Amino acid sequence: MNALLAVLWKDLLTEWRSRDRAIAMLLFSMLMVVIFHFSLPGGATTATRAYAPGLLWVAYVFAALLGLGRSFAIELENDAIEGLARAPVDRGWVLLGKTIANLLILGFVQAVTACIFALVFEMNLMPIALELIGVVALGSLGLCSVGTFFAAVAVRTRLREVMLPLLALPFYTPVLIAAARATNSLFETGSVAFEPIQFLIVTDASYLIVSFILSDFVLDE
Amino acid sequence: MTHAVSNQEPTSTSPGISRALTITSAVLALSIAIWAYLVYSAPLDSVQGLIQKILYVHVPCWFAAYAGFAVTAVCGAFYLWKNDERFDRVAVAGAEVGVLFCTLGLVTGPIWAKGTWGHWWAWDPRLTVTLLLWFIYLAYLLLRSFTEGSTRTARFAAVYGIAGLAVIPLNYFAIQLFGGAAMHPNNLERGSLGTGMGWPFAAGVFTALLAMLHLVLLRVDLENKRIAANANAAEWDSDEGF
Repeated sequence: MNALLAVLWKDLLTEWRSRDRAIAMLLFSMLMVVIFHFSLPGGATTATRAYAPGLLWVAYVFAALLGLGRSFAIELENDAIEGLARAPVDRGWVLLGKTIANLLILGFVQAVTACIFALVFEMNLMPIALELIGVVALGSLGLCSVGTFFAAVAVRTRLREVMLPLLALPFYTPVLIAAARATNSLFETGSVAFEPIQFLIVTDASYLIVSFILSDFVLDE
Repeated sequence: MTHAVSNQEPTSTSPGISRALTITSAVLALSIAIWAYLVYSAPLDSVQGLIQKILYVHVPCWFAAYAGFAVTAVCGAFYLWKNDERFDRVAVAGAEVGVLFCTLGLVTGPIWAKGTWGHWWAWDPRLTVTLLLWFIYLAYLLLRSFTEGSTRTARFAAVYGIAGLAVIPLNYFAIQLFGGAAMHPNNLERGSLGTGMGWPFAAGVFTALLAMLHLVLLRVDLENKRIAANANAAEWDSDEGF
């Protein structure tokens, strides 16, 4: 547990000092919102709002992949990854610490992106802000848990920037389907449907447990 | 294990695999002939006509594909447990052969679908999950070719192979709960095939599974030879003083 807090603190502090990952992710997801506007017929307005939940999650997924890839790439400098792997602690906690750090950094990016998204699609997200935060947090936990796990694998391969999306995206589909469905019901009715939330909780729990158990095999010297 | 095979000639096949390959080749040749005859003489479907005969190719391909992926996941788990390289050689063989049969299934499916449903593709749960499975095991093969170091490659691949099969129920439920309507029959109930269609179907499944086994054995043999050749080359290099 102490290892989790130590890794979480280290990752957040490193990010706070450089701020490069969060800024890159933010810029990327903002650019995606702009690109969505140009790709939709008639632009991103109230008329095309039906596409908003799906597009919002596409932006989140790609921003997440961008940030997750960096989360282990920074450990390659000075062979810091060896230190992480050799630390006399359970590697599951190390991975979980990184997962939570990624979740918090992604959360910041998602919050700003949602504001821009609301402006572009002319939506008022304030009345459903709390519910939206809950849905996004549940969906992002799924993205970050399995994403951090595969980032540890991808960082040890050639072409790691390409490898991470290829490894992670098939695992993102259940999360993406349920999260987009929950967001859709939230945007349309103002309340969250129970089924997708239940599904997200099950998916998050399975991803967290499996990545914790298999962490020894992906974090190696 | 590398040391155990390093003294072998790279071109020699182990006696066990050689014997198994002889048996599977003979039975496979016979089985293909019987299957082809049964498919030819099977009655035409009263609604779909000739195109229904693709069933005898399409569904057996799925049996073989899923069997190949199951081999990969099970052997991956055994590799992680026993740390024996032989399991990894079977795992990679299973994945490659599984992807081959999965591709055949994904090609034959749309041909049948266009003829009966009127669409090349539908986002039916079974179809979508299988497409994702195809992506997963292609990523598995890419992961193997992009990872350096045989132990690490085997370990990463084993983890991904197991996770790949484990994510299938999640994807299936997600699509079933929130996705499109099912187009495939829910299950193969007894008696869902018409009179005279059971035997060609059974022969197709048997032939596809046997072909899968035969190809897995060939691929394992190839992997054994590759590893033996690499070990010999390394020994030669060290003898030369490089």
